[in-house]
Amino acid sequence: MPRRSCDCGNKRVFREGFPIVTFARRAVWLLVFCGVALTVLAVLPVDAQTAQNAAKEPAYRAFPVFGSRLAVWAVAQLHLNFAAFILGVPIFAVIIEAIGWRTGEARYDWLSHELVKLTFAAFSTTALLGAFLLFLFVGYYPKFWTYMTSIFFPTYWVYALLFFAETFTVYLWYYGWNWLSGSRKWIHVGLGVLSNLFGTAILVVANSWVTFMMSPAGIDESGALKGGVWAAINNYTWMPINIHRLIANIVFGGTICGAYAAFRFLGAQTQEERARYDWMGYIGNFIALSAFIVLPFAGYYLGREIYAFNQTMGITMMGGFMSWLWIIQAILIGVLFLGSNYYLWLGMERIPGSERYRKYVPPMLIILTVGFMIWATPRSMVVTLDEARAMGGTHHPLLGFFGVMSAKNTVVNLMILTTFLSFVLYRRANKIPTKSWVKTGMAIQWAAFAAAAGVVVFYGVYGYFVESIIRIGFSVYQVLAVLAAIVLVMAIDIPMFKGARTTGQIRWGTIAPHSQYVLILLAVTFTWLMGLMGFARSGIRQHWHVYGVLRDSSVDAATPALGYAANVITVVTLAFFALVLFIFWLGGLGERGAAEVHGHAAPVIAGGRDDMRA
Amino acid sequence: MRVPVVVRVGVFAVLVMGSYAMFANSIPQIESKPPQELSLEGGNVTPAQLVKAGEEIFHTKGTCEICHRIGQKGTRAPDLAGIGARAAKTKPGMSAKAYILESLLQPAAYIVEGYPPIMPAVDKPPIALNRSEVWALTAFLESLGGNVDVTLNDVPATVGAGSGGAGAVAELKIPGDPKAGEAVFQGKGTCIACHKAGKIGAAQVGPDLSQIAKIQTPDYIMKKILDPKGAGTVANFPPGVMPQDFGTRLTSKEYVDLLAFLLTLK
Repeated sequence: MPRRSCDCGNKRVFREGFPIVTFARRAVWLLVFCGVALTVLAVLPVDAQTAQNAAKEPAYRAFPVFGSRLAVWAVAQLHLNFAAFILGVPIFAVIIEAIGWRTGEARYDWLSHELVKLTFAAFSTTALLGAFLLFLFVGYYPKFWTYMTSIFFPTYWVYALLFFAETFTVYLWYYGWNWLSGSRKWIHVGLGVLSNLFGTAILVVANSWVTFMMSPAGIDESGALKGGVWAAINNYTWMPINIHRLIANIVFGGTICGAYAAFRFLGAQTQEERARYDWMGYIGNFIALSAFIVLPFAGYYLGREIYAFNQTMGITMMGGFMSWLWIIQAILIGVLFLGSNYYLWLGMERIPGSERYRKYVPPMLIILTVGFMIWATPRSMVVTLDEARAMGGTHHPLLGFFGVMSAKNTVVNLMILTTFLSFVLYRRANKIPTKSWVKTGMAIQWAAFAAAAGVVVFYGVYGYFVESIIRIGFSVYQVLAVLAAIVLVMAIDIPMFKGARTTGQIRWGTIAPHSQYVLILLAVTFTWLMGLMGFARSGIRQHWHVYGVLRDSSVDAATPALGYAANVITVVTLAFFALVLFIFWLGGLGERGAAEVHGHAAPVIAGGRDDMRA
Repeated sequence: MRVPVVVRVGVFAVLVMGSYAMFANSIPQIESKPPQELSLEGGNVTPAQLVKAGEEIFHTKGTCEICHRIGQKGTRAPDLAGIGARAAKTKPGMSAKAYILESLLQPAAYIVEGYPPIMPAVDKPPIALNRSEVWALTAFLESLGGNVDVTLNDVPATVGAGSGGAGAVAELKIPGDPKAGEAVFQGKGTCIACHKAGKIGAAQVGPDLSQIAKIQTPDYIMKKILDPKGAGTVANFPPGVMPQDFGTRLTSKEYVDLLAFLLTLK
């Protein structure tokens, strides 16, 4: 294809011709997928005769060698990983693009394009895994699938149409980057927003199926729909899962982008490249961390709705055979908190002027470590009789005191506050505010931190002296105190540091290389955590396909123990990263030898050149 | 020698995930198994056996222990110590067994003061106890300080109907003899002429039944024997080959034995 070039500001930008061959190849894939999806929709049993014929089908078929459950589990987890990535990344990609558009900084436009490129490469794999999952359900769990179809058939069409809309919008967004630039940039940003709206709509439709399996609604005792499908969609856990998954997708997308940047940083040949990917890694971590801070609150909401739907299910989840799962979750989240903060502290070393804030690191590390230890303390343990006698019961006399929700809620809120403090210090590391009201502003900020911590600790201690039903309500006050502090501190911080004096530019690319392994640790840990939470969500149904409605009478009706689940999660997560690596490598093949693609000059980041280092 | 980035990152990722998996394997491994069905109808069962069966249900399938304790105050639900004696005095004019049964089947009918109305009906999904199990559980609760006088007739006949949920198939315990059923399969039933069943038979006229209990529901197998045409023909096999007269050719015992044998083929 012919290449045209033009000068844009002080950067030389190459514009490539429209890659017709690539587009055609992807369009063929899309048509194949859509054809398959429509064929499946067309043959779904909808009339009475077909339903009768379906009743003669076996309830289950056995997937060769691995068994049906393992096959569905592995493909579903992989599909969810990819889907979370392609739905999460565009959310912040469009925000970054809008920032670039409004500020005129080319590096944001480059980053946004880089992010969408990653999404784009994973798009067809997500669709193919989704189709594969559908085939597994239809083929190996026909009775279950027939039942779900009897409830949700109208939503299948909505899903297919949304998928069409999402695909074409994302294609236009990606390939129209140059075409819709300049005065037409607002249309391009609009396409990004639109693709996010379609993507979120796809998410909420699919969530209605999976949440119905957990907390069925809108059906009579025989399991048939009582009225419209909306009652089944709008079940107890639908909205909490929508919110939880949306936030988690952003975290996930951020960590994967961070890991991608880390990978490129470690393999970079030039200082300029290192600087670029150091900056990208920081942005990835910043996005992940920002969303991660509010994720526990969404988790509380989901947990509360599970209890509201069915106490037995809630208690089984937290205190039954799954109780140890939450200890593992606490460890993983502890790793995420410590890792994110450690990355920020390492990052401060490349910021001139940050020395002022190093004294805060040891106390923050102590709070995070102690918080981590308390959060991972089990309340009651499965012990032998001798061990129980030695401890004086199933609760350890000292550690058992920290294993209750009062202690755990308190420390997680303190960890969130500490992480936020890390971020605030990082943000102001090379700035000295010049406003006349700085002292007052700082005092109010510290007071906000102290007040929030005070409220959190007060309700944490008070929780030991009240009934559980009252104690549950305390977590709301703790969360509100933390959120209020975050909002207040930022509301002061932004104007206070506007026009601040700088102590020097951030030396991007000079961060310690081992910091990049922290980014990879975060991505791996969060992906593994997603697998674990998927197991929790599915496992609390126990021997039910649809809780209390459609029983699992297959050979796989037992819910496996955590060890088995962890092994499956590990293997699938490994497969996911192997596939991601392959897809990214494949996506990068077309760019070999070209420094810029689709008109996107790789920006020069501060610290990327010797002459730019202050 | 410089190790490529992809290898370094890959090894690091494997080590991280391996450590998580190793920890998950080091803690107590608890599998949640689907509950077994208990059937006492028509059998001779002593009160002691009934109480023992009820105690097991209390700790397992009934999931009562999630909220209730015996001899210990709970925050979610009342202490059940002495419930057998207390139940007779809770609602005037209502016997202990009637009160306990009402509490199990219609928990919202009477809420003990100071506790939230969170108890589910035990004969409905997801707990879904059947009639025999409700009988045994009632007997166990009566035994906690009271006299066991509940009979199967005290438990409404409708209890447990549809407890398996829509389209669900509760695990059946066919009272037949699988060994005798195997003999029917090979002998009077002449099934072996067309079907393979594990190590028995080799014919391929009809579908291989070696895993029939794994891939089919008991109600389908029952129907297929009595009404092969009505149950439909399995894909890729000729229709109308399976005899239609097993319902009259086999005795009840032979039919039940044959079923018991087929349900062992997993």
